[in-house]
Amino acid sequence: MPDHVLVAEGLSKRFSSGGQPVTVLTDLSFRLSAGESLALVGRSGSGKSTLLNLLCGLQNPDEGTVSVAGELFGKSGKPGSDERWAELRRRSIGVVFQQANLMPALSLVDNVRLRGHLAGHGAGGEREWLERLGVGPEAHRYPDQVSGGQAQRAALAMVFAMAPSVILADEPTGSLDRHTADEVADCLFAIQRDTGCALVLATHDRELASRCDHLLDLSAPHLNRTP
Amino acid sequence: MMLIRAFFSHYHRHPFQLAALAMMIVLATMLWTGVAVLTDQARSSLFQSEEAVEARVHVVRSDGQPVNVDDFADLRMAGVCVAPWLEIQRPPPEGRVIGIDPLAMGCFGESAPGGNSGELDGAPFLDISNAAALAHDGYDSRLYLLANNEHVTLPEGYTVREFSLGPPTGELADSFLLNLDALSLLVLLITGLLVRSVHRLGVAQRQDSFDLLFRFGVPGRRVRQLLALELVVLTGICVLPGLWLGAQLAAVLGGGFGQALDSLFDVTLYAGSTEALPWRAAGIMVLLVLAVCLVDWLVPRLWQSAVGSGRGRLIAALILVMGLVSVALARELATVFAGTALVFAGIGWLTPGLLALLAEKLAAGKEQDGISPLTRWRRRELAVMFRHLALPVVALQFAMATVLAVQALVTTFENTFDEWLAQRLEAEFYVEVPSGVDAGLAGGLLENLEGLGAWHRVSRGEARIGPEGAGSEDGRVSADLFALTPIGELVFDWTLLASLDRPWQKVEQGGVMVNEQLARRQQLEPGDVVEIRVAETVLRASVVAVYADYGRPAGEILMSGAVLPENFSAGFESLSVNPGNLAMADIREQLAEVWNVTDVTVRDNASIRALASRVFGQTFLLTRAISLLTLVLAAVALLIMSWVFFTTRVWYFRLLGIWGLPTRVIRNQLRRLSVTLTLSVTVAALPLGIWLTWVLVSRINPLAFGWSLPMALYPGFWLELAVVAVSTGLLVAHLMRRQLGHRESARKVET
Repeated sequence: MPDHVLVAEGLSKRFSSGGQPVTVLTDLSFRLSAGESLALVGRSGSGKSTLLNLLCGLQNPDEGTVSVAGELFGKSGKPGSDERWAELRRRSIGVVFQQANLMPALSLVDNVRLRGHLAGHGAGGEREWLERLGVGPEAHRYPDQVSGGQAQRAALAMVFAMAPSVILADEPTGSLDRHTADEVADCLFAIQRDTGCALVLATHDRELASRCDHLLDLSAPHLNRTP
Repeated sequence: MMLIRAFFSHYHRHPFQLAALAMMIVLATMLWTGVAVLTDQARSSLFQSEEAVEARVHVVRSDGQPVNVDDFADLRMAGVCVAPWLEIQRPPPEGRVIGIDPLAMGCFGESAPGGNSGELDGAPFLDISNAAALAHDGYDSRLYLLANNEHVTLPEGYTVREFSLGPPTGELADSFLLNLDALSLLVLLITGLLVRSVHRLGVAQRQDSFDLLFRFGVPGRRVRQLLALELVVLTGICVLPGLWLGAQLAAVLGGGFGQALDSLFDVTLYAGSTEALPWRAAGIMVLLVLAVCLVDWLVPRLWQSAVGSGRGRLIAALILVMGLVSVALARELATVFAGTALVFAGIGWLTPGLLALLAEKLAAGKEQDGISPLTRWRRRELAVMFRHLALPVVALQFAMATVLAVQALVTTFENTFDEWLAQRLEAEFYVEVPSGVDAGLAGGLLENLEGLGAWHRVSRGEARIGPEGAGSEDGRVSADLFALTPIGELVFDWTLLASLDRPWQKVEQGGVMVNEQLARRQQLEPGDVVEIRVAETVLRASVVAVYADYGRPAGEILMSGAVLPENFSAGFESLSVNPGNLAMADIREQLAEVWNVTDVTVRDNASIRALASRVFGQTFLLTRAISLLTLVLAAVALLIMSWVFFTTRVWYFRLLGIWGLPTRVIRNQLRRLSVTLTLSVTVAALPLGIWLTWVLVSRINPLAFGWSLPMALYPGFWLELAVVAVSTGLLVAHLMRRQLGHRESARKVET
């Protein structure tokens, strides 16, 4: 168990749609060790984003458990579990979205600094992360003053600046052109390998998915090569 | 049809925005209508009240006895134009009415009181036979025989005297109306800002839809037409309930106003609003709403873009400086008003930008200075809010400044007026010296009464005053003369605005004091030597002090009765008496005996003072109520705007949740942000409020009425406003809590 930073056991999730229960995830399990990556693929509505939400505590599973860095969470939140999830998201789980989701009132470097601060890191190193992701010259620009690709790189810099154990990325290149998407993906995998964190990547892009160590197709669970 | 459906689809998704705009128009109309109705009512009431209390002349008996019906008959038979005037005092709510005889008034012509309408409905005049019936019912009554002019030739045994039913409303009424008019304009300005701010926010949030329509081939002109149509329909619908609510508001406040008039001018509120609904006010509000919302189409784009630019700020600063200089140097009231408008324009223009700049400056600090990245984010968010909420922020700032100024003015007025009353009603009792008797006899009596407290005799008359060497009458102006005999301890506590050393001793030695009005008009200062013509004698005297005299426009000279020339004839005389160890009833009896009259009018100054001390509280009840309502409206507007605006920023708070910030900390950030926003507005309102107070007491009042009030600051009010601001901020944060919800709301972040 100590080798696995992220463990999902028998996860199920149902929603109600038009009064009818809709099952999105059924008895899903996988384990991910430090430095490993897992691609989540599947058609729209297959539950990729829902699974990511379950993995970072933004939603509760109806069945099953999630364990992050050895800490186990179940169906219903135990007293204080919200706070524990928040603590994990703040220090151990980095989340990347399809949109960069930066604070527009802060420059790129201040965004990275804020994320590092929330993770409990002192000032310093933000510029280096931005440099490494190729947006060093834009460090003092605001999100609305840079391109989508540059903003997404800054979002990655934010995540890496917090030194997470797990990165959850939801279509991180979905809104970028092919060339920029490749560049961003290259950065993502290179740094993930260097830092040794686990990566869960939800994507429609089969090519991107193929760069992960494992693949979980939520549309056809029987085809999975899960860890 | 599809276009219209698409156009209005925004409100399907965001009905609250439509409700906010509608509510703002309703509230703005209500406030403005209420103020407009009350101002009209005040003007009309005061006009009628003035007529009732206007100074007139009446015929009195030289022997000091009261006149009766026989005197009326004798005078009419002698060919004198006199008319009976029977004053009946009833307890509230009926109050005082005056019985007159329209037939007897025939010889008065145009000057007949009660107008020529022939309708005597008791407001305040009624037929004398009905008044007589009331007198028989036991109500207090007093008969006067009104003369049509003071130069009437009278048979022997009669003389004419001036009288009035109460203190003249004069400048106080003008001051009151000016106050209301200025407040109305401010209310109109603030409501305009509020309506515009809500409308602009709505339009900004629909801009994407408009752009989409444009891309689909709908011309921009068509979109603007639909926007205008939407606004016209919405205004038309919302103005009506606002109108009705405003009329109700006026009816509620009108009660307090009537009470104030009754106390202040001793007359009931005669005139009500004749208009069922004030359509004129409604028309103004419709025009205002359309103007403030559609002004962007009229103002050139170049000018609009200049507003927020550096050049725009420079222009605003210039306007502000021009306004400040105009007000400081103005010699005319109109200049003060124009200057004040410029100052408001400049400050309104500059405030949001300066607050945003300040927030950004504070955000720019380094972590070593204790500025954490989270604090930096919050301050930058604050700067964004100041820019996006510029109009409601300015509206709230203006409303708070107005409330501060009105509160300070009214409180200063009340406190000063209390002092002035204490000065003027210094003795416990006031005795009216009957016409035709020798007041000196009373002096002799009082001097020899063992155990009597302090007293003095006041002789009132006319004088003309001018600078030393004026020589001719052209250089002199009329003033009321008050002569005191003796100068005693009753006056030693008077508050003097400026004086030489030991002024009262100097008055005893022949010096004079002048009131502030006369000092300002004639530019007199202590130490100046003046010439005073009393009767046919010209006295040369030194001005030893200037005393405050609020509310009376007339110039006054106060001097010792000992230096009055022999031929001075007092128009009116009275005694101020502290009975000391004696009973006032005994003193009254002895005075009646020495003057040989059946009755002597004695007023209990304590009760007059008690009544008068309530007067200004009641008089400014309305002003306070309107200014507070304005503040409430502005606070509600800021609340709505902040809520709507925060809704657009909730995304970032949820993001903080995803980044792992506990809900408790996020709520705390939200609270700090909203409270800082509202408190900053209060802080920004303080200097404007203090400046406005100074303008009211030191610029407008002296220029309009010749007297100033001391400038006083009341930090207690500031604290009250701070509480309002904090409450508003906390309420915004509380409303937002639901939208932030628990952690599951965080997944609503757009992915």
